[in-house]
This record gives sequence, structure tokens and C-alpha cells, in this order.
Amino acid sequence: MTGTESDGSTSAPSRTAVRDRLDRVTDPELDRSIVELEYVDRIEIDGDRVGVDLTLPTAWCSPAFAWMMTVDARDEIESLPTVDDARITLHEHMHEAEINRSVNEGLSFAEAFPNADGDVAAVRAELDEKARVARQYDAVETLLEAGLDGEAIVGLRLRDLDGLESTEDGNERSVGESEDADETVAVYVRERAFAVAVPSAPIERYLEKARETDLVSAPDDRLFRTPEGEPIDPDSFDLVHQRGRLAQVNMSSQGGICDGLREAREGRLEEPADD
Amino acid sequence: MYQHNGEEIFVIDGHVHLWDATEENIKHDGGEEFIQCFYDYHTTFTPEDRQWSIDEYRKYGADRMVEDLFGNAAADMAIFQPTYLTDFYEDGFNTTEQNAELATEHPERFVLNGTFDPRDGEEGLEYLEELHEKYDIPGVKLYTAEWRGESKGWRLDDEEAFRFLEKCQELGIENIHAHKGPTIRPLNRDAFDVADIDDAASSFPELNFVVEHVGLPRLDDFCWIAAQENNVYGGLAVAAPFAQNRPGKFSEIMSELLWWLGEDRVLFGSDYALWNPDWLVEEVIEAELTQEHRAEYGVEWDTETKKKVMGENIADLYDIDIETKRREFRDDEISQEFGLGDHYASEEPAAADD
Repeated sequence: MTGTESDGSTSAPSRTAVRDRLDRVTDPELDRSIVELEYVDRIEIDGDRVGVDLTLPTAWCSPAFAWMMTVDARDEIESLPTVDDARITLHEHMHEAEINRSVNEGLSFAEAFPNADGDVAAVRAELDEKARVARQYDAVETLLEAGLDGEAIVGLRLRDLDGLESTEDGNERSVGESEDADETVAVYVRERAFAVAVPSAPIERYLEKARETDLVSAPDDRLFRTPEGEPIDPDSFDLVHQRGRLAQVNMSSQGGICDGLREAREGRLEEPADD
Repeated sequence: MYQHNGEEIFVIDGHVHLWDATEENIKHDGGEEFIQCFYDYHTTFTPEDRQWSIDEYRKYGADRMVEDLFGNAAADMAIFQPTYLTDFYEDGFNTTEQNAELATEHPERFVLNGTFDPRDGEEGLEYLEELHEKYDIPGVKLYTAEWRGESKGWRLDDEEAFRFLEKCQELGIENIHAHKGPTIRPLNRDAFDVADIDDAASSFPELNFVVEHVGLPRLDDFCWIAAQENNVYGGLAVAAPFAQNRPGKFSEIMSELLWWLGEDRVLFGSDYALWNPDWLVEEVIEAELTQEHRAEYGVEWDTETKKKVMGENIADLYDIDIETKRREFRDDEISQEFGLGDHYASEEPAAADD
């Protein structure tokens, strides 16, 4: 199967490559990497097979969320050319048996949970939308700091951005290094009358989710939207911006709860079991 | 009453339970996971030296509850919010009937709420009437993600749920507390989604809808709905204990709530015994908004706001006259038991009018 074993050492993926892939998987509710959140307990590499153990903050963590993270982890790792099979094992979850079996056998969510009504895709879309709104806040803050006003910001279209790297193909960029804090993007305003240079990271982060949610793809698409996906009326710019702030507070508050629950449970599980 | 900056703050704990999660009462794995998850919440946000053991947490009993709530005058009154979970626990986790034993012993201190479940149909409507007749309940606590056989939840904007809300309106049960917390339903549809509050609140403008746990982790959806429906309120249970170990986050959440809802629609609740008002009330009242948040949001967590959030707002919803209560509590049974008479002795508010 592997065919490259003759030279022995080159067929296995590096631990760093696997970790970088996992770093792209986010907790869909918090919009933060599962690596950063310390959900990853163990990575085991055996030739072209990779095993990953995950533990979420609570056994009650929504099975739909748990499902998304395990599937995404599997898909990300299997996208490495050196990996033939990724086996994800979720621990300490009320539905770990169904999830582990189904994810590793390539079944669908509906097959894993036969009495689920509807599709997990809808839940994912809703969480992506919230992540998009929260990221929009940072992007808009960046533009406000650069001196643009609300009216100019709501009028921006994708074609008004210049100098963005396209990372849509998902090709490797060694995380953390090439995302230089000094990188900028030129934003053209007033019918391209002039441009301002702003840090590109928050804009790119926003665009990533705006593309995932199918809001911004064509050059003429408005860059920023209400949480409902509509263009923003200049009169309601402040209110829409405030809703972005709220979306961030919601995510970070839930993150606080998840962090706490994880620590509490780790403490509980480390205690010697009662005889 | 809590003494703060030379002023007295009358505290009504808007969210308390008397539960039984002993192993004998558990009939489904979900019951054990449920109390373990609660216990994780408890240890996460409780100061280490105030944490309970899991055994006392499973069942603490009426005496301990009275002492924890009122013994050091942390809370002056409390509102029972039942959580039935009869698929998980033999006799239920904490039912209206169980809570009633204590509530009827101290009717001056406790308010007893009931519940309904639209999936119970006609029988459910009869049960609601029965609770009304027997206990004259002024409100209901609803658990939309409660399991019942094959069903893993229901929505407040279901046609069937509207029949129950109509019945509440007819009987004068005005306060509708909906638990909206973390998603625990093992399916994909989100039974704690707050969107159903919107339609229910605009369809029943005479009822008050209290979204418990301020919708966390759907604070954003909740605030947006509450900003448009003025009969929607936010219960602080779960958000409140952030004051203890994540004060910056508490400041941020409170600033959002005061900005979107204003100071008249935020209600304190400890969620006892998840957290104990004997330390939590102090943490919340003594909490401060950061300078940064005060400037950003333009809101204040000052004494007037604290008085409203900690008691006055919910007193309005439940027709509780705080001044009358202060007089009553100078020598009610609980003040006698814990030597609290002095707490209620002051004539301060009356004197201010002279």
C-alpha cells in the first residue's frame, strides 16, 4: 500500500505537519483552534497512519460540535499526502461510542445519530456565521483605526482590497511565520480616489469566514454585512458593529466556561477512583 | 440585606433549587452525567475553600439550603425554579412538589414556581391548573431541552406551547422563566436556541419572559431579541459567578447586558446549589466594571443599578413590596433562627423621605 518503505524514513508525516493540520480545526462555537484550546491529548504516528486522541471540556459538549471537530480533524490530517489513514478517538464524551465508530468508518452524522432531525450542516453554517460576525468586528476596528468612517466602510467591496494573498487553496504556509504582523493590505475608498494601508491579518481572517459562508466571493460583493448577511445601511453601522462586539463577547464567555469545565473535569478524573 | 457603601441592598435570589441527585434517585446514565456536569460548573466557579464534596452536592436538604441562602443574610428571599428531568431521576431532580415542602414552610421567604411541558398535552394543561390551584404559582420554569421518551426537546414557539402560554395568561401566571444554557441535546437541532423566545414574547406581551443564564452561549442572539422585546429579561445565573474568578469577563458581559437591555431588565440569580449566594452575592455586588468597559459602553455598575439587579427588578415582576418585607423580616422565623433582626431594623428609606 505505502510503496515508499524501501527508503524507510520519508513516508511518515512529521509531528509538526500533523499538529499544523490540527491547528486549522476550530471549536466551531468558540472559533478557536483545538490545539490552542488543548483538546488534543495525544498524536501517534505509525508510518502513514496517524492516531489522535481528543477530549472536550465536558461530556455534555454538543454531539454536533463534537462531530464537527472529529470529522474536521480526520479530514485535515488525511489531506497530508504522507497520511493514508487518520484514526480519531474522542474520550469522555456521552456519545463517544457513536462518534468514534462513525467518524472512523466514514459514516455520516445522520448514520451516527439515526434519530437526528435535520442536518449537521445547518448547525455548522450557523456557527460559521457567528464566527464571521465576530471576525468582522476586528476587521472593521482595523479600518476605523486607519481613519475610515462608517459610511466608507459599509460601501467597501471585495475589489477595493489590494495586496491580499490568496490562501484559498489551503496550501501550506508555515503557521505563525509568514503571517507577519507588518503585512498590510491597501484599501481603496471613495471610488478608488485614495487608498489606506491597514494590517492584513484581521482582514484575511474575516475574508476566510466570509468566503466559507458564501457572502463575499465576486469582486463586486459588499465586504461587510449585517449578522443576517444583508448589506449595511450607513445609519445602522454603529449598531451592526456593536453586534459584532457582542458576538465576540459571547464566544469568549463560552470559552471561559469551557476552559473552566475542562480544568474541573481534569481535576476530577485525576483523583484516584473510589474503591 | 447586604450592606454596601453604607446602603442596604435587598437581595432576591431569582433562581434556586432543592435537588436530589443521589445514586438511588438516578434512573438513567444521563442523570449521573447531568449532576457531574453541574458539579464541574460548581468547582469551576466556586472559590476553593467554599467548594462542596460531590456527596453533599448530590443532596443537601432543606435545612442546609435555608442556612446557605439566608443564614448570613446574603439573600433575603429566593424563587424556586423547578427542573423535573423525570426521564433521568426516579422522583425527578427538583419538582414543584418537592420544593413546595420548604416553600410552604417559609412562605414569606420563598416564591414557588411551577412548570409545564407542552408534550404532555391535555394532561399537562390539567397539571398546570392543578399547580395554580394548589400553590397559586406566579411563574413557571421551562426546560425546553428536557428529554421525554423519544423527544429530546421542544420549542416555546410551537403551536402546542402557545396553548400553554395562553393558559398561563388566563390563570395569571405571568413569569415565564426559560432555561437557555449550553446545548446538551445529543442531536443536531439546538433545543436551547433562544430564537423561540422572540415569537413567544411578541405574541404574549402581557407575560414576562426571563431568559435564564442570559442565553449563554447565545448571549448575542439573546441580547438582540431582548433589545426589541421589552418583556424579555435576562437572568444572571451562570454569568454571575464570572465575578469571582474571571472579573474582566464579568465586566464585559455585564456591560453588554446593561447596554442592550438596560438596568431594569437584568435579574440576579445564584442557581443554588450550583453556586451559593453566601459568597456569590458579595462577589457580584463588589464587582466593578473595568475603566475600559465603562468608557466603551458608557454604562455603570453603581449602587442604584445594583439595587435594581439584585432585587428591585424581580420584585416588580413578582409584586413583592420590599419595604413591607423589610418590616416583616425584623422578626420572622428565619430572622429569629439566625439572629438577623438587626439587618432589617433600619428605618433608612422611610427617614430619607422626611
